Amino acid sequence: MAGPGSERLVRNALRCYPERWRSRHGEEAAELAMLLMRDGTPARSIAWSYFKGAARTRLVQPRRRLRVAVGALVAAACSLGVSLALLTSSAPANAVTGPCSGVARGAGAASHGPIPDGHDYVAGDTARSSASISISVTTGKPANSSAMSGHDQRC
Amino acid sequence: MAPREAERDGAGGQDVLRRAGDASVLILTSLAGGAKHGYALIKDVKGFAGVELGPGTLYGALERLEQIGLIEALPAEDRRHPYRITPAGVTALRVHLDAIERVRVAGRLRLGLEGI
Repeated sequence: MAGPGSERLVRNALRCYPERWRSRHGEEAAELAMLLMRDGTPARSIAWSYFKGAARTRLVQPRRRLRVAVGALVAAACSLGVSLALLTSSAPANAVTGPCSGVARGAGAASHGPIPDGHDYVAGDTARSSASISISVTTGKPANSSAMSGHDQRC
Repeated sequence: MAPREAERDGAGGQDVLRRAGDASVLILTSLAGGAKHGYALIKDVKGFAGVELGPGTLYGALERLEQIGLIEALPAEDRRHPYRITPAGVTALRVHLDAIERVRVAGRLRLGLEGI
């Protein structure tokens, strides 16, 4: 026969379930526990089974929420990655004004044909390489529109 | 998985119970003989399989099976909810038992217990 201690143990185990579960199965589960104890099943094993069930129930629900959160994080990381890729694609513009400007100029000569004036080329390449800055650094004038459209086509 | 998906997969021959766990198969097998509530399910499973399902395991499996549409709860009698197997559950159980049967036959053949 189930004593008050056994009943309390089972009730405590059932309290570990989420509210939603208890409102649906709580009374039935308590009654089932009483019937099993009446048949001779130890209260400890019933309570342990409910503890494990409660843990599983609580672990399964956050897993679904976790999947949504991970999906949102991946989407955010992807959009951040695209932004970073755009920023890094503008990096050669900085390189032109730095110590490697000769290399950049050479690369530009290879891809854009003959350079009438190195200085003019640098200004044009700066505008061409930078997606976000449309004003030429060296001339202070708006960048060549045909060069910009060329950059857009490459992206 | 939505009930409709479970029904479709069962009809398509996919074994949706393959990863569902033994408790789910035992419960479906028990419910295949008629609707039962928790206590009757535990007693029936112990009778035909010799397995004593813990009440926590039982409710976990019942909730999972109900979510995927293989069983459904009937209106409560007192505080007890009887459950019954759905047509999708019948199909899923049949597909699973066929898969087990193939494994059983292959195993017995390879052990030299059949076909000699």
